[in-house]
Amino acid sequence: MSRASQSGVRWNRRQVIQASLASGLLAVFRPVLSLGQVVPPSDLTPAQAGVDASQQLASPDWKPAFLNDQQNETLISLSDLLIPDTDTPGAKQALVNRSIDTMLAAEPVKSQQKFLQDLAFLDAAGRQEYGKEFRALSADEHNELLRPLSYPERPSFWTEDAPPDPGREHFQRLKSRIVFAYYTSEIGMRELGWDGSITHGPFAGCPHPKGSHK
Amino acid sequence: MPQDPLLQTYDVVVVGSGATGGWAAKRLAEAGLKVALLEAGRTVTSAEFTEHVPVFKLKYRDHSPEVLRTRPIQSQCYACMEYNYNWFVDDTENPYSTPPDRPFTWQRLRILGGRSLVWGRQSYRLSDVDFKAASRDGYGEDWPFSYADLAPYYDIVERYVGISGAAERNEMLPDGQFLPPMRMTCGEELFRERTKKAFNRTVTIGRAAVLTQPHNGRAACHFCGPCERGCMTFSYFSSPFTTVRDALKSGNCTLITNAVVSHVDMDHSSNRARGVTYIDRVTRESKEVRGKAVILCAQAMESTRILLNSSTPEYSNGLGNSSGILGRYLMDHVVGGGASGILPGMKEAPSANPPHRPNGIYVVRYRNTPATGKHPDFIRGYGFQGGAGPEFDTDAPGLGAEYKKAVKRGVYSISLGAFGESLGRMENFCEIDPNLKDAWGIPALRISMAHGKNEAALMRDAAVTAAEMLEAAGATDIRLRSNTETPGMAIHEVGTARMGRDPKKSVLDAFNQTHDVKNLLVTDGACFVSSGCQNPTLTMMAITVRACDKLLDRFRTSNI
Repeated sequence: MSRASQSGVRWNRRQVIQASLASGLLAVFRPVLSLGQVVPPSDLTPAQAGVDASQQLASPDWKPAFLNDQQNETLISLSDLLIPDTDTPGAKQALVNRSIDTMLAAEPVKSQQKFLQDLAFLDAAGRQEYGKEFRALSADEHNELLRPLSYPERPSFWTEDAPPDPGREHFQRLKSRIVFAYYTSEIGMRELGWDGSITHGPFAGCPHPKGSHK
Repeated sequence: MPQDPLLQTYDVVVVGSGATGGWAAKRLAEAGLKVALLEAGRTVTSAEFTEHVPVFKLKYRDHSPEVLRTRPIQSQCYACMEYNYNWFVDDTENPYSTPPDRPFTWQRLRILGGRSLVWGRQSYRLSDVDFKAASRDGYGEDWPFSYADLAPYYDIVERYVGISGAAERNEMLPDGQFLPPMRMTCGEELFRERTKKAFNRTVTIGRAAVLTQPHNGRAACHFCGPCERGCMTFSYFSSPFTTVRDALKSGNCTLITNAVVSHVDMDHSSNRARGVTYIDRVTRESKEVRGKAVILCAQAMESTRILLNSSTPEYSNGLGNSSGILGRYLMDHVVGGGASGILPGMKEAPSANPPHRPNGIYVVRYRNTPATGKHPDFIRGYGFQGGAGPEFDTDAPGLGAEYKKAVKRGVYSISLGAFGESLGRMENFCEIDPNLKDAWGIPALRISMAHGKNEAALMRDAAVTAAEMLEAAGATDIRLRSNTETPGMAIHEVGTARMGRDPKKSVLDAFNQTHDVKNLLVTDGACFVSSGCQNPTLTMMAITVRACDKLLDRFRTSNI
């Protein structure tokens, strides 16, 4: 069961049946229903046709389709800083840069440009503070530069609404892309505890007696 | 040798294979009538289901630019995904227009099973508070039947479909033939108890067309989660694997896919429909199917579009339109009001593993009920769908190891979203746009709808009362939402060929026959007289079975 999902094999009916039985479900299965007609492959989405795009992403021959090498490396350093390897693998191992590049290559020019501006902000900030491009900064310098931008501004007694901080906005947009790409990767899903199963039986619900739900 | 399906005359031609068309085909074919079931899209097989494909196998992680390019409107629906977008219509082939200041978002599937493949599965009965709403508050028209007339058909549909749910003995939401209910989370149980205590309002588990035990040869739900991508155990109700399958098994039903129906054909000397003409989706050839009766189940506005496109010299403004109101009284539940918050102190941690319950909770309508009396600001009411549970906190601030930890710690959120009654109004309508055709050359619709003051008042009240209930449950960080979303967003569009006893004020009679042409019926959501606030599919299916039983009587007595 877990071997199948770890090796990237699509779940088949037998595995679902086994999983259902293992989890105590009484299942009645019918053969695949075709209603006598065939669906031409051109009518299927890649997911329906069984394409596994994660293998393409992990290919040793991978080259960025949109970013240049400098931009790609900047993105890798930022993703590694945001979601580092800890006791679990982080964004770099999850190939977050590759997933974002794939996305960008297919996006409208406007959002491509916005992304490049966000990335360029990192270099501009690095040069201004330390006289170096972002990817050349030390870990301490990275942290010093980005940590303040990663927490919400504390409301001040003096100002009701602080004016929007462009640096913070650049950073938050980059962060949400990296966070999305990480937690939708297999590494990211496993970081959240996914064990590769598609079923563990019915939803058991609240175990507490009436009046003491917590 | 099998006969050419187009050379014979069927007893009944059914247009559309979704929730209602599937039922019409099953009911009539199993009773022995010869049925032609027409579907505008292709067939579907369970081999193309993707509910167990993890998101990392998708090139764009379910944010595909391809979907946005061909389906800018369809992708506004959460169920139109990188996994299954081909089940939804290509917007570039299926245009419709709207006035610039009256946008409408129209979600459609053209594939065997139609929207039943991806529907939300929530299944609620209407009550006499809905069927006789006009008598209670003076707005609009009553339905031409009462709850007691429809109740036996609700029973038939529920027993076959399999609706999991809990009986509540609440007069606003009649109980039905339920399979065991799904369970609530701790937060939902807490919310249910406190809401009952503080407001005497009913919170119940969603009544869902998802099996909680084996039923009619289909397996119980295995709680993998994303029903809208298909179900290899057929545990949620969709027509191809239930009603349509039964109809075909009877030997009396001929399924014709890729049949894009353009209009109903009339036999003028007898004033009877003699069948329909369709364009083959692939070859673009025009073909005719003949039947002794025609039932339109194409989706509310698609059925009305077919009638409007069926004008003849006798019926110059569309078939079945002697009242002049065909296309009028378009409704779609108003959505956008509600509230969300955080439930502090809950122990349950978020999990990436199943079970993923494909269901939520439901708050039964409590405004303008016989028990709560008349509200000063608006008529009718709303119900909430929602849920409470732990979620991963990917919005957590910070970076590095501490951010990773914060995401896993999660937050325990609770959220309610209202579905409010949409009042039937003459000025909310669809009509043929004289300058617009679809990819098959069939004149397309111009849709003109806006929610009014009553709908806006419902959403404002829903935001306030939702927040009050969350507060009573102990929630913090409560955020209110009180906007009214673009019409169509609820995907509960009904009306445009409403039923009624008076042919001057309605298109269909109490058994869904057009007043003007007796062997022509519409049994999908087009027939609704008012919208109630409950999800409409269960009611559409019950109405279809009732109309089919009446039609069968007429066939038996040769009165067709």
